Amino acid sequence: MTLEIGPGVLGLLGPNGAGKSTLMRILATITRATEGGVTWNGTDIAQKPDELRQVLGYLPQDFGIYPNLTGQEFLEYMAAIKGMDAKTARRRIEELLIVVNLVDAAKRPLRGYSGGMKQRVGIAQALLNDPQLLIVDEPTVGLDPAERVRFRNLLSDLAGERIIILSTHIVSDVEATATEIVIINKGCQVQRATPGKLLALLDGRVWQWVVPEEELARLKQASLVSGTVRRADGIQVRIVSETAPAAEAHPVAPNLEDVYLSLVSQDGGGR
Amino acid sequence: MKTIGILYHLARADFFERTRRYSFLVMLGLVLWLSYVLASGQFRIVIQPRYLGVIDSTWVGATMTLGTTMMLGLVGFYLVKGSVARDYTTGVGQIMATTPMSRLLYMLGKWLSNYAVLGITVVILALAGIVMNLWFGHGGLDLVYLVGPLVLIGLPWLGLVAALAVLFESVTWLRGGLGNILYFVLFMALISTTIVPADLGTPGFADNPYIDFTGWQIISDGVTRAAQAAYPDAGGLGFGDFELAGEPAFFVYNGIRWTTTILVSRLLHLFLAVGLVMLASVLFDRFDPARLLPVKRRAAAPEPAPAPAAEPIPVSSVQLTPLSGTETRFRFGALLSAEVKLFLKGQRWWWYAVGAALIVAQLASPSGWVPNLLIAAWLWPILILSGLGCRESRFNTRQIVFCAPRPMSQLPAGWVSAVLVLALLGSGALLRFLLAGDPVAVLGWLTAIVFIPSLALALGTLTGSGKAFEALYVLWMYLLTQKAAPLDFAGLVPGSHFYLFALVAIGLLAIAALARQRQLQAT
Repeated sequence: MTLEIGPGVLGLLGPNGAGKSTLMRILATITRATEGGVTWNGTDIAQKPDELRQVLGYLPQDFGIYPNLTGQEFLEYMAAIKGMDAKTARRRIEELLIVVNLVDAAKRPLRGYSGGMKQRVGIAQALLNDPQLLIVDEPTVGLDPAERVRFRNLLSDLAGERIIILSTHIVSDVEATATEIVIINKGCQVQRATPGKLLALLDGRVWQWVVPEEELARLKQASLVSGTVRRADGIQVRIVSETAPAAEAHPVAPNLEDVYLSLVSQDGGGR
Repeated sequence: MKTIGILYHLARADFFERTRRYSFLVMLGLVLWLSYVLASGQFRIVIQPRYLGVIDSTWVGATMTLGTTMMLGLVGFYLVKGSVARDYTTGVGQIMATTPMSRLLYMLGKWLSNYAVLGITVVILALAGIVMNLWFGHGGLDLVYLVGPLVLIGLPWLGLVAALAVLFESVTWLRGGLGNILYFVLFMALISTTIVPADLGTPGFADNPYIDFTGWQIISDGVTRAAQAAYPDAGGLGFGDFELAGEPAFFVYNGIRWTTTILVSRLLHLFLAVGLVMLASVLFDRFDPARLLPVKRRAAAPEPAPAPAAEPIPVSSVQLTPLSGTETRFRFGALLSAEVKLFLKGQRWWWYAVGAALIVAQLASPSGWVPNLLIAAWLWPILILSGLGCRESRFNTRQIVFCAPRPMSQLPAGWVSAVLVLALLGSGALLRFLLAGDPVAVLGWLTAIVFIPSLALALGTLTGSGKAFEALYVLWMYLLTQKAAPLDFAGLVPGSHFYLFALVAIGLLAIAALARQRQLQAT
């Protein structure tokens, strides 16, 4: 895998075990690569990790908090660890608490926070130092729909002169925010393109029609079924195919889920 | 049969989970060290004023049994406690709660697993005893005399310890630090009421083995009788690093006279252990947070309602001010202040009250009490100290903390904050040492506040858990109360080489730095 990343939101998509989180941990200077290297503005991050850490914001997929601290105290602690001066940190934390909608809960111990609230604390700590490189791994896990939309908007707003790397299984999150998408499988890059170019790959190759329920199993064996919806008159199926798979099938506009499933299945599926 | 199968798999999985942790290796190291201390005679049975038993299988058996009950009885509790808490933190407990498994079965499984871990320690001590017998002993090896007391006295007592660990874990407010402190107080109370001071020499509970849980009186009775038969001036039994008043004289100890009463009492102790497990199963909340104490429920304020899904607040209304040009740099003061806050946060008012009382007591008590008060004051923050070097693993914050600039700098900040806390808690004694113009005591005090956090930091970074430190530290402090000079890092025992621990502290800090480096690369 060779990637050169510039400003914008880079979405990482891939099946479980594809290596997304490992790649992100390597980029976040947490894990040392056994082979290859990563440079930040020409500096090898394995040799000089602090060059990147100064400007890094990282939200891991699985992280914990200190339960006895309040949300605000935890952010103050993280700001001290990141080497921020107290005044700047205080101002930044005030803003972040508003952004992640935790103002009312800021003075409460973290042990009483729900999963979504903890996730929002994680998002806030990643943004503390106004990072030039923001790496977020499954950031919307546990967030309710409103908070998910809020976070997606936030990512879009933040993407300007900074690099955001976003990994998620929620394809709509990537679709809404990513300026570029990398699909990886088994540790290798399968495809890298803008969302528009990825969608163009399947132009005229996604079909949809209604089949009887007993037909579905046979279709799944024979074709790549990218979606099903149960209806009163049967099952509406969505299939990726070069040619029309049935006389009743009609072409529909592809979505990123179709593209992702198609590319991963061509590459031999996930682990 | 099905129930036994469930119980077996429950205990087996729990046992494997514990023994495959790095901290288990450290625990084995601790037990091996204990075995060495006992086998090499650094800790031994002494009959006042200068009598020792001839080293043979009966004598070694008695030594190893007292080592098991007096030392592992204390440290073993901390070694095995935490299994239920782990099921809470990993979320496995909630999955188990949805199965038909009963609370009694769950608790029995935990008890068996605890017991198996403690059983391993007994096996190690028995092996060390065999080595001691063959290496230093007179006469041949008699396994019945050597292993008999370990099995018949040591194992029932450890069964009780394993059950107490389960019981403490079943009660919400005993699961954490308060339970650990309470067990220490209970153990010390048991020891002080069971052990008749060595110079008195009158066995107190010899006729009542039912309440002689540690077997002290059973062994003490036989040993003192044997000594007095050979030397009429023989006094009471002491177990520890005792100085002899003169040239040692030896006597032959013929072992425990196993009466039916003694055997029945041990069996009853095992039944009592099972009874405690049954009580634990009644008290256990089965991972149901709704069964928390009312106090806890009141403390948990209701969550604010999430924003309605239909009207998400647009992020553009709360723009973040760019921080461009704000340099992040190493600010040790800020880091230290954050670490101290993290260190002390979450302690209840009574923790501070006891800490303050200990400081006042150091100032106001008779000078002879100061060493033990200082030990108590430095033992008080054990649960805070045990988080040093492993807090990031315990709370799963490694990834977000270790990707900050200069992650190694958190190590000295945490260490200094621990030094400050220990200095404050021992400040009463320091003031007295200074007023008394006692530079040796001041040096000892300084060595201690440097050594203790170094030990905690090294063990925390090495094992990724606070358990090893908690177990070792409690045992160490207990032995200090017994005036074990080789372990004196604080200058509390006259004639000890406490200053050497300053060098040990440097070594421990180096180990901690290397272990943290390993943590950083292995995250």
